[in-house]
Amino acid sequence: MDQPAAALVAEDIHKSFGLLAVLKGISMVAHDGDVISIIGSSGSGKSTFLRCVNFLETPDRGRIVVGGEEIRLKAGRNGRTMAADRAQIDRLRSRLGMVFQSFNLWSHMTVLHNVMEGPVHVLKLPKAEARDKALALLEDVGIAEKHDAYPAELSGGQQQRVAIARALCMDPQVLLFDEPTSALDPELVGEVLVVMRDLAEAGRTMIVVTHEMGFAREVSNETIFLHNGRVEEQAPPAELFGNPKSERCRQFLASSL
Amino acid sequence: MDLTLLGWGDRGWGDEMVFGAMMTLAVAASSYLLGIVIGAGAAAMKLSHWLVLRWLADVYTTIIRGIPELLVIYLVFFGGGALLRTIAKGVFGYGEFIDLPIFITGMICIGLSAGAYSTEVIRGAVLAVPRGQIEAARAVGMGKVLRFRRILVPQVARYALPGLGNVWQLTLKETSLISVIGLVEVMRQATVGAGSTKEPFTFYITAFVLYLGLASISNRGFLRAETWANRGVRTS
Ligand SMILES: Nc1ncnc2c1ncn2[C@@H]1O[C@H](COP(=O)(O)OP(=O)(O)OP(=O)(O)O)[C@@H](O)[C@H]1O
Ligand SMILES: [Mg+2]
Repeated sequence: MDQPAAALVAEDIHKSFGLLAVLKGISMVAHDGDVISIIGSSGSGKSTFLRCVNFLETPDRGRIVVGGEEIRLKAGRNGRTMAADRAQIDRLRSRLGMVFQSFNLWSHMTVLHNVMEGPVHVLKLPKAEARDKALALLEDVGIAEKHDAYPAELSGGQQQRVAIARALCMDPQVLLFDEPTSALDPELVGEVLVVMRDLAEAGRTMIVVTHEMGFAREVSNETIFLHNGRVEEQAPPAELFGNPKSERCRQFLASSL
Repeated sequence: MDLTLLGWGDRGWGDEMVFGAMMTLAVAASSYLLGIVIGAGAAAMKLSHWLVLRWLADVYTTIIRGIPELLVIYLVFFGGGALLRTIAKGVFGYGEFIDLPIFITGMICIGLSAGAYSTEVIRGAVLAVPRGQIEAARAVGMGKVLRFRRILVPQVARYALPGLGNVWQLTLKETSLISVIGLVEVMRQATVGAGSTKEPFTFYITAFVLYLGLASISNRGFLRAETWANRGVRTS
């Protein structure tokens, strides 16, 4: 057991909304440097799974381990689990960067302050240091010249790149992306994918829910196909795209070409 | 109209009227602040998961918005006075006649009314904050207090500002009702002046000018605050 702990382990995650069982036992492991794509048809539970990983939704059952630290749970009402320690959740969330489909930048703050906010107020980094770091990251995602603009003054592609910088500025162990290009006009998708590709090449650990089959195929080293709240198929992309074993996966791929 | 009546000093009523305007401003400002505190509390109650709290807040806004402000003033003044005397007598054995201080009574009454109107304004503003932005704050690991302070409050303030500006204008006008229990603000002062000089129009037109002045100055202040709060918001 002298192998380092996996960056992220999710084990047997279950989640229902009322009577609707959305996740029916999903497990996955991400090691440092992994880029895992999650694909599947609409409603298969991809977003819900990602949100369960950082407890934006509380799983009904299952285990989440971030960098070797397990999220402590307790039995809540009607046998479902709930977080035992809010402070632990907050701390682990700060180590899981999240990029949303709809960017969710804070509209009352400039680009720079959006990126600095977490480091300064959550990680307690000195302001000057956070500022330098934020500017460097904005440079990396190609948007440094807009650091004084407000989110509403940016295009969707620019906003999403800021959101990526915001997540990166926390030095997260794992980056979670929930369809980061789905809300973008087609001509803006490319600029965001370029940034994500660079991150993958730089060795960032990423879990990416996506409809961009090209990205899943070329950038990730593992692909998970979700269907009806279960992992229907999991394999390296060459295998999953080249020779899908499950009929459903085959149909899904055929329909999304 | 006799403008010499409005001179400064012992002879004229000018200084009294200006003092009345300052009293109006003082009671309006303190009622307004009280109203915002009450409004924020009642809005939080209306947004709470707890049925009882929601119900209590609904009862409060329904009552205050449904009955005449004048009645609220009489109820608080006479009811509060009676309560105070009962307590003074029962607890401290003090038997003299005492009243609730007029300024405090006025502030409570107008504050209750301002509170009822700001409740809806603040509740709406909270609901206007995009949920995704709160989620993004959770996702970077901000706890409740940080989310409240850094993300929610600044945006609620922005969304609430126009509505709270209206509440201020209403509050300013409603203070005139406190004249019925004897607070010497603009309205009361004008009535007194009118009665003792038999020149009512002079005094009421002066009151008109003073109210208009207060309203337009504060209006300008709110517009400035809105411009500041809306920085970064696309106006199209
Ligand atoms: N908060 C919620 N309350 C009730 N039902 C929900 C909630 N969130 C998701 N669902 C339901 O759970 C199911 C899975 O949703 P989810 O968003 O995880 O799907 P998805 O795979 O991300 O789909 P898409 O590709 O459209 O984003 C859907 O049927 C959705 O309606
Ligand atoms: Mg989704």
